[in-house]
Amino acid sequence: MSSKLLLPNRFKGIGWFLFIPSTIVGIMISLTGFEARWLKTIVFAIFNDEMMGKSQSFSLIETNVTNTVVGILFIVGAVFVGFSKEKREDEFIAKLRLSSLLWAVWVNYVLLLLAFLFVYGTAFLTVMIYNMFTVMIIFIVRFNYIFHKNSKLV
Amino acid sequence: MKNNIKVERAIKGLTQEELANKVSVSRQTINAMEANKYTPSTVLAMKIAKVFSKSVEEIFILEKND
Repeated sequence: MSSKLLLPNRFKGIGWFLFIPSTIVGIMISLTGFEARWLKTIVFAIFNDEMMGKSQSFSLIETNVTNTVVGILFIVGAVFVGFSKEKREDEFIAKLRLSSLLWAVWVNYVLLLLAFLFVYGTAFLTVMIYNMFTVMIIFIVRFNYIFHKNSKLV
Repeated sequence: MKNNIKVERAIKGLTQEELANKVSVSRQTINAMEANKYTPSTVLAMKIAKVFSKSVEEIFILEKND
């Protein structure tokens, strides 16, 4: 993997600081449907449609941005954790990163296939929401698991 | 491919960390090679052989299924 596509190592720490809390909060929000009142604000929307209303494009709308904030923090955190250099980048780590990505995409789509087969109705919407984040989560878990397994002295 | 990095390292009295530093890789890489979980690139194999002042073939040995 070309190291040009990797962020400097210092981003990794910031990444963990964003990734873990936003994952936990994200799961809690998806379970409870919680929306923070103070996060209701006016935003610019390229496109917006309400369940029972008309759709708008390129306009300012008032909405609750709890999901937006948590989602952005998750994406930034996950990218920082997943795509930052290790303290000492080398060929084994580059290979491990790529193989973990392949592994994560495999696992993710096997899970999604099973969801397609066995989950129906509005529950499938929940599956789709989780599926937006699972590739990165599986990738990060797999990479760090193998990395730390190889950190132990044999 | 198997290797006797661990043995050679013991003879030289090097820790994984020290060997890693000598060939500019992470300790995880030395660990993975010693556990036969990673086959190094030609460059890395030659660097390791150089540290032990041996030929590559003395450190890395092909196996039947290679």
